[in-house]
Amino acid sequence: MSYQATSPGLWALAWRRLRADKVAMASLAVVAAFLVMLVLSSSGLIVADWEAEVGVSYAPPALFHEDGSGRAAPAPAVAAALPDNPFDPLAAEVAELRAEQGGAAKAARRDTLPFGADKWGHDVIKKAIKGAETSIVVGLVAASLAVSLGTLLGAVSGYYGGLVDDFFNWFYSIFTSIPSILMILTVAAVLQQKGVATIVLILGLTGWTGPYRLIRAEYMKHKGREYVMAADAIGASSWRKMFAHIFPNVSHVALVQLSILVVGFIKAEVILSFLGFGVPVGVVSWGSMLNEAQNELILGKWWQLFAAAFAMALLVTAFSLLTDALRDALDPKLK
Amino acid sequence: MTHDFTHHCTHHSTHDASPLLQVRDLRVSFRIDKNTSVDAVKGISFDVPRNATVALVGESGSGKSVTSLAVMGLLAAETSSVDAASHILFEGRDLLTMPPAERRALCGKEIAMIFQEPMSSLNPVLTIGFQIAEVLRLHMGMSRRQAHARTLALLGEVGILEAARRIDAYPSQLSGGQQQRVMIAMAIACEPKLLIADEPTTALDVTIQQQIIALIAELQQKHRMSVLFITHDLALVGEIAERVIVMRHGEVREQGAVSQIFKQPADDYTKALLHCRPSLDARPMRLPVIDDYLAGAGAGVGFEQPQRSRGAQPGDIPLLVVDKLSKSFFFREGLFGKREFRAVKDVSFTLARGKTLGVVGESGSGKTTVGLTLLRLHQATSGRALFDGRDLIAMTARDFLPYKRRIQIIFQNPYASLNPRFTVGQILLEPMRIHRIGANDGARVAEACALLHKVGLPAQAFRRYPHEFSGGQRQRIAIARCLTMQPEILVCDESVSALDVSVQAQVLNLLQDLQDELGMSYIFISHDLSVVKYMADQVMVMHQGSVVELADSDELYRNPRHAYTKTLLAAIPKGL
Amino acid sequence: MFSYILRRLWQMLPTMAGVVVLVFLLFNWVGGDPAYILAGKMSNAEAIANIRQQLGVDQPYYVQLGIFVQQIVTFDFGNSWATGEAVSRIIATRLGPSLTVLIPLTILETVFGIALALAIAFVRGSLTDRAVMVACTVGMSVSILVYIIVFQYGFAYKLGLFPVQGWGEHFSDNLLRYAALPILIGLAVSIAPTLRLYRSFVLDEASQDYVRTARAKGLSQTRILWVHVLRNAAIPIITHVMANLPALLIGAFLLERFFGIPGIGREVILAVERSDFPVIKAITVYVAAATMIFNLLADLMYQAVDPRVQLA
Repeated sequence: MSYQATSPGLWALAWRRLRADKVAMASLAVVAAFLVMLVLSSSGLIVADWEAEVGVSYAPPALFHEDGSGRAAPAPAVAAALPDNPFDPLAAEVAELRAEQGGAAKAARRDTLPFGADKWGHDVIKKAIKGAETSIVVGLVAASLAVSLGTLLGAVSGYYGGLVDDFFNWFYSIFTSIPSILMILTVAAVLQQKGVATIVLILGLTGWTGPYRLIRAEYMKHKGREYVMAADAIGASSWRKMFAHIFPNVSHVALVQLSILVVGFIKAEVILSFLGFGVPVGVVSWGSMLNEAQNELILGKWWQLFAAAFAMALLVTAFSLLTDALRDALDPKLK
Repeated sequence: MTHDFTHHCTHHSTHDASPLLQVRDLRVSFRIDKNTSVDAVKGISFDVPRNATVALVGESGSGKSVTSLAVMGLLAAETSSVDAASHILFEGRDLLTMPPAERRALCGKEIAMIFQEPMSSLNPVLTIGFQIAEVLRLHMGMSRRQAHARTLALLGEVGILEAARRIDAYPSQLSGGQQQRVMIAMAIACEPKLLIADEPTTALDVTIQQQIIALIAELQQKHRMSVLFITHDLALVGEIAERVIVMRHGEVREQGAVSQIFKQPADDYTKALLHCRPSLDARPMRLPVIDDYLAGAGAGVGFEQPQRSRGAQPGDIPLLVVDKLSKSFFFREGLFGKREFRAVKDVSFTLARGKTLGVVGESGSGKTTVGLTLLRLHQATSGRALFDGRDLIAMTARDFLPYKRRIQIIFQNPYASLNPRFTVGQILLEPMRIHRIGANDGARVAEACALLHKVGLPAQAFRRYPHEFSGGQRQRIAIARCLTMQPEILVCDESVSALDVSVQAQVLNLLQDLQDELGMSYIFISHDLSVVKYMADQVMVMHQGSVVELADSDELYRNPRHAYTKTLLAAIPKGL
Repeated sequence: MFSYILRRLWQMLPTMAGVVVLVFLLFNWVGGDPAYILAGKMSNAEAIANIRQQLGVDQPYYVQLGIFVQQIVTFDFGNSWATGEAVSRIIATRLGPSLTVLIPLTILETVFGIALALAIAFVRGSLTDRAVMVACTVGMSVSILVYIIVFQYGFAYKLGLFPVQGWGEHFSDNLLRYAALPILIGLAVSIAPTLRLYRSFVLDEASQDYVRTARAKGLSQTRILWVHVLRNAAIPIITHVMANLPALLIGAFLLERFFGIPGIGREVILAVERSDFPVIKAITVYVAAATMIFNLLADLMYQAVDPRVQLA
């Protein structure tokens, strides 16, 4: 008995369609690049020193200035200005500090940076990359949590129906009666505690409602299909029907939901961090960059705003286009 | 090899000898994706004379619907293209080269079309009065009041009772037959010269079909219009058309007068189509299939075979005894109330070993529910089903598990009954794994391949996905799936209804071979009376949930007792 | 019809109860004893003790829940911990400004969305269609924050066409001067997702069989879209707009914050920043109730507009 190679299933066919779509491939490349950057930055291989204050305050981008290619600014001669105060109780400590700083002042602060600096002289590019890490991690982990939870509950709810369905539907209607932003803000207010883990949990535990509704509808639809009745007729158990038979027909919906939620959560994280309810002070996020940028703009300093906005737009556009292409590849309809 | 009757008009035409519609070398292709396109119609030519009914016959994929859509200009411009050398002449003017506005003025006025699915072809949120009046006001320039009056007259003409009340109804408030009548009213509103009917009765019950066919024939006579009737049912063609065009794979195989074609078909495919369907008069041991004819085996395949006799015999061993089986569905109504819908009411019958029980009825008769309830896919409301001494209905789910092997089902829709994400191999191995048939996976794979061979599929099918197979092949896979468990009873729930005539014959032959070899009993559920007569020993007629008659099949068709059975038998299209 | 409404209201009760319990759990259990928070706001120890007693902080949970339910039913949540203003008064006065921005915004957004979606449906599949869809995606990828910052800077600060911030006394003044730029920004931000959604509704309808029948009747493409398709596509559009209205109340919070509009959204942000629990609790509960009622209204409207649906 000779077998020919397995004919292509859903995923192989979808990959083929995706490959033929140039826009999709470009988006995939961009997203992949961001993910590589994420791995490098979170393992500390790049931009580990984003906190170093390497530029002068509000250093303009080098690309837009003819002069200034990183010449060191003259070290400010501050130390010798004031005479010593004999009654100063901290005199000894201050003298010590001055001695330390004298050494550090030698490390020059640059006049311009490739894309400018913020108020404290941090390199904007490094901040943007680090901010990408925060947003992507939050997006991916929270989305995975939300989709897993939503899929599991939706499957059980849609398949069993009856009281189980009523119970989870009740749960669902509670969560959807409260607009998600309000839900997030309320939990943030109550928890009084900041951190990436907190945001991930909040987003994940409030975001399960979308996938739940879709997966539940899919399960309800498939439950009545003849191939499931056939599985019933041959004696498959409920668990087997739910996960071995129906789930492969529904998994592409879950994947697309994951993609959509990643985008939504990245945008949500940025807003939360902007408002101050997101990442704590030591962590940089595009949101915190935009927060600073708001005041900088009036002073005419636009580069941090542009960097954060551009980096975010690039990632989200690429991800959104990829999501659309993915959806079409997995479930093509004649347009 | 087309017989060209272009220059020969029928003897029904009176004043004008030139044909109403002349199709010349029509070629239509569809674009599947960027690189591939497929030819749906490959250069066909035919005529539709004035004041005549012409039938366009073919199976699925023959291109008959595409042809009609091309005439009306309804093909999607983005995915389809009509060859520049094609011509569609209506009263001498080429529709394909006409400016769009002019062509639009013809549609609905001189040429009208009705479709297969009336429910989805009517706009669900507009009243039927609005939709009919729309075409009157657009093409005939009528005022609202005039259109309203004319609409009432039209509704009366097509047989909608209480027209004054119904004119403001929405499509969802009408039955399938009434919806099709509304479609017809919309189509004839402006007294078109040509009416194109694309399988208008395929979705309707056989008794309603009869009424709609009669209506169309009556309207054709009265308004002296031409009808281009598209169908896959040759018997229907015999009843209504004067000329017939037979298509296959986008080409015309034969065309001519109906009497000529039916009595002396020249083309092999036409011969096959005429003989593949089980007839009410004969029951050959094996139904002839397309291949028999196309291989040039010629005539005589069907009628010189030994006949199979069917019917209850004294030595029959009863296998399944069903006693007063009932199934009701409950719906919520009002604030706290419940409404009961009795789908199956006190159905009783006996199924003997190795025999077939046919169950016939129209939609809503409950015949499918009976099958599903016996397999416990629905929970019966009351009744007993004694199998091997035990009541299948009263058992617990756990006790029923071993019985699942012994009674199996093949569903109607071959496209939905196989899991699209499983390979054929996985589909076949699944029941074996669940019931622990076979010592190990190796033995199971061997068994699966043997079964594939038995149902006439190649071994390579093991690794393929269902979407690569045709409807008939998928039904075979479904049959193989059932055979893995070696059932004693097989419920065939409209199992061949969704298949083309030529494929139907093959699957029916397979089912019969398996019954002869393995001694399985069948419960054969169908609305198709000819097929049931061919397959069944005894026939049970159901109407609105109850059994109205139960008798040996020959006896039932010869001497129907119940009024409903008589109506049903009278409604079968007899062909010539 | 009447029995349907009654049944739906009856079904709403468990959900409302669930929301109340959830909010209660969040604030009274996870949030715990507010003494710590209050201590930072009020120096008067007696006032703090008073509040704690009113909330029943030392009492068993079911008593606290009872107090909470009573507050909801009597619309009296006490006073704001930060400003001392009565919470019910806060909500009542903030509703007006929010609606002044929201209602024009919703109307404009829906009208533009439908018009653009129909226009795009005309040229579906063409290069224009694809280009517009990509433009929408790019537009949606830029954070709303960026839109607000840039627009506020450009149109208000630099060009001086609109006031940078603020709110006035008179309705017409508010509507035409202060609300104008926020509405404009809201429109710019929401046009892309709205267009995408409405386009999908319209295209779904345009691929239905009844459109083929309409073409067979000789109707022009324009008439088909405006009379046949729109009538069907209006159903999901209406239900979408109705169901999303309460969420919009909160959703405009960024606009309100940036432009200093004293609306509900801004109030929520302030309350979260200041840990002003009574205000957050009250708003959450009432918005949830509003959402449920609007969902019911959306369903009723759906039944009125779609003749296929029978009132069950």
